[in-house]
Amino acid sequence: MINFICNVQEGCIPTSIREDLEKGIMTACNDVLGQEQGPIEFLWTEIPKGFGFRGGYPSTTSQVAGSIPDGCTQEKRELLLRKICDSWSSISGTTEDEAIISIRDASWSDKTGYK
Amino acid sequence: MPYYRVITPKNALSYEQRQKIALGVTDVHCGISAAPRNFVHTEFLELDETGSFPDDRGRGVKSFNTKYYIAGRNRGGRTDDTIAQILNGMLEMFCDITGVDSNEVSGDIIEGKASWTMEGGHILPEPGEEPPSWYEADKVLAN
Repeated sequence: MINFICNVQEGCIPTSIREDLEKGIMTACNDVLGQEQGPIEFLWTEIPKGFGFRGGYPSTTSQVAGSIPDGCTQEKRELLLRKICDSWSSISGTTEDEAIISIRDASWSDKTGYK
Repeated sequence: MPYYRVITPKNALSYEQRQKIALGVTDVHCGISAAPRNFVHTEFLELDETGSFPDDRGRGVKSFNTKYYIAGRNRGGRTDDTIAQILNGMLEMFCDITGVDSNEVSGDIIEGKASWTMEGGHILPEPGEEPPSWYEADKVLAN
C-alpha cells in the first residue's frame, strides 16, 4: 500500500488540477516502484490563508508526503522524488521551490503516526 | 523541513499572533540549528475540541493533554540535547507571545531522514552539511 498526503496552501493549487497531480504521482510510482506495489491512496488537506508560513511569512509551498513499502534503495527513492517534483511543477505551474516532496518508509510512517 | 505545526483551539490566536509565532519559530530553530530561514515552515491547525489531531508527520492520530501543542518534524542527526533545546525554545517563545501559561502548552519533535526529502528540487543535506547555495534564498529575504 502506498499513500500520499498532499498539504497545500489555500488558493495555490486549484481543486480542478488535483486529479492530474494524482495521476502524475501514480505514473511516477508505477515507473519507479512497479505496479505490483498496489493501489495508491491520496489525502488532500488545505491550509487556510493566514495559517501557513515559511520563514515567518505567508507561504505558497505545498508538501507532498508519500509512504511506500520498506526496502526502496536511495537511488530509486531519489528518482521517484525527482519524477514527482517535475510532474508537480509541470502540472501546477508552480516552481520547484514551492514544493517539498518526501518519500518515507511505511514502517517510519506507522511508527510516527502515534496510532 | 523543518516543519512545525501549532495546534490551538478554534479562534484562539489572531493573525498577528500567528505571524509573530511563525517568526518566533523561525528565530528559535535557526538560532540553534543554523538552518536557512527560508526552509522553516510553520502551520497553524485549529481544533474544535482539543485532545488529538490527525498527525500528518506519519499515519494516525496524535493525542495530547494540554490546550496548545507544537508538533515539530526535523531532519535527523541532532543530539537529544539540541532537540530539547529547540523544543523548549519554541514553548517559551509561544508563551511569551500569547501570554499562555507554560503548563497549557506542550510539544514534541520527531526526526526524519534528510535524504527522504526533496526541497527546492534538491535532496536535503544532513544537518551541518548544508552547501553555501542553501543560504542564497535567505539573502533575498534579507534584502
